[in-house]
Amino acid sequence: MDASAIKVAQAGTVESMDCRVTIAESDCPMIIEISGISAARFKAAMQAKVADVLESLGASQDACLKVDVQDNGAIDVVLGARVEAAYLRFIGVYES
Amino acid sequence: MLYLPGNNPNMLLRGHLFKPDGLIIDLEDSVSRHEKDAARILARDVLKRGEFGKCEVTVRINGTETDLWREDISFVVPQGVSGVRAPKVETPQAVKDLDEEISSVESKSGVQVGSTKIFCLLETALGVWNAYDIAKSSPRVTAIIPGGEDLAADLRTSRSKEGTELEWVRRMLIVAARAAGVDALDTVFPNISDGDGLRREAGFVKQLGFDGKSVIHPSQIPIIHEIYTPTDREIDTAQRIVAAAKEAAERGLGAVALDGRMIDAPVIRRAEFTLERAGQMGKSENRG
Repeated sequence: MDASAIKVAQAGTVESMDCRVTIAESDCPMIIEISGISAARFKAAMQAKVADVLESLGASQDACLKVDVQDNGAIDVVLGARVEAAYLRFIGVYES
Repeated sequence: MLYLPGNNPNMLLRGHLFKPDGLIIDLEDSVSRHEKDAARILARDVLKRGEFGKCEVTVRINGTETDLWREDISFVVPQGVSGVRAPKVETPQAVKDLDEEISSVESKSGVQVGSTKIFCLLETALGVWNAYDIAKSSPRVTAIIPGGEDLAADLRTSRSKEGTELEWVRRMLIVAARAAGVDALDTVFPNISDGDGLRREAGFVKQLGFDGKSVIHPSQIPIIHEIYTPTDREIDTAQRIVAAAKEAAERGLGAVALDGRMIDAPVIRRAEFTLERAGQMGKSENRG
């Protein structure tokens, strides 16, 4: 894949209680990577939340996406909101 | 009432811990144009979560002169917010447009039609001039609020420490609000490090008759509460007035004296209002 043509969208910040979600075109199936202060303890739960939100927006686990979450203490509701914003930007509903 | 930047999870989730009477989730000035989408989604989900303690929650949407406000309403009204704060309201027609849009969203989302209040921010000379008509333009209007920085700019002046430039505006809005039967709430005090200035301004607007004042920093909340909470002595006097009035009514008397002073209808209304502020009549109206 030509790196210069990869579509990327982002939402959120790395401020306290927030997270930055980056969604990019990638190989299939979907890859969800979690880093930051909650990753060690809650990685599986956070990956499940990301997958749930994307599924609700029409992106299944087979989608050719890489989702990267840099966490700084985001609770569930914030993670979900950031994933939704990033994905809607990714598919062009919103401009980022 | 504490303003919370709409795209800041830390403040949105923790704002109620500072114990303001109300929270204002801001989708307008504190959110940059390219973050409006993310802020709406975050605000919607935080509202849905609904953990705000005892605070009344309103949302400041983007102004009706923008292409953003309808989508703001579509995100927050279905969550059952107490009200929306509409910035830069200049005409009764703007309120009617808001009312119509809110009704449509309430109806589609199963929220009781008419339950979402409108707080009108009057941030231009025209808006202030039309204050009474704006306040009467919809039964949803619950308060009118003078602008601060935007209004000063529209008046071709700037904000001073003394607030001279807003003094007449505040006096006018009190008259308009009372004539229309809505609340008058004051604008923010922008200098968060000047507690004495805030105390002075809050005391002034309370004396004018304002029902509360918005704040932009948690450190300002205790000062507003200090100004607006009735003292024990005021509460005691008010309780005795209300009790004396009740007794007079039961005895069929039109008026009664207490401590050598005639108690008539305006005195009783003021006493009841003091008790409301103190939360002793089943309703607390003091707002910080």
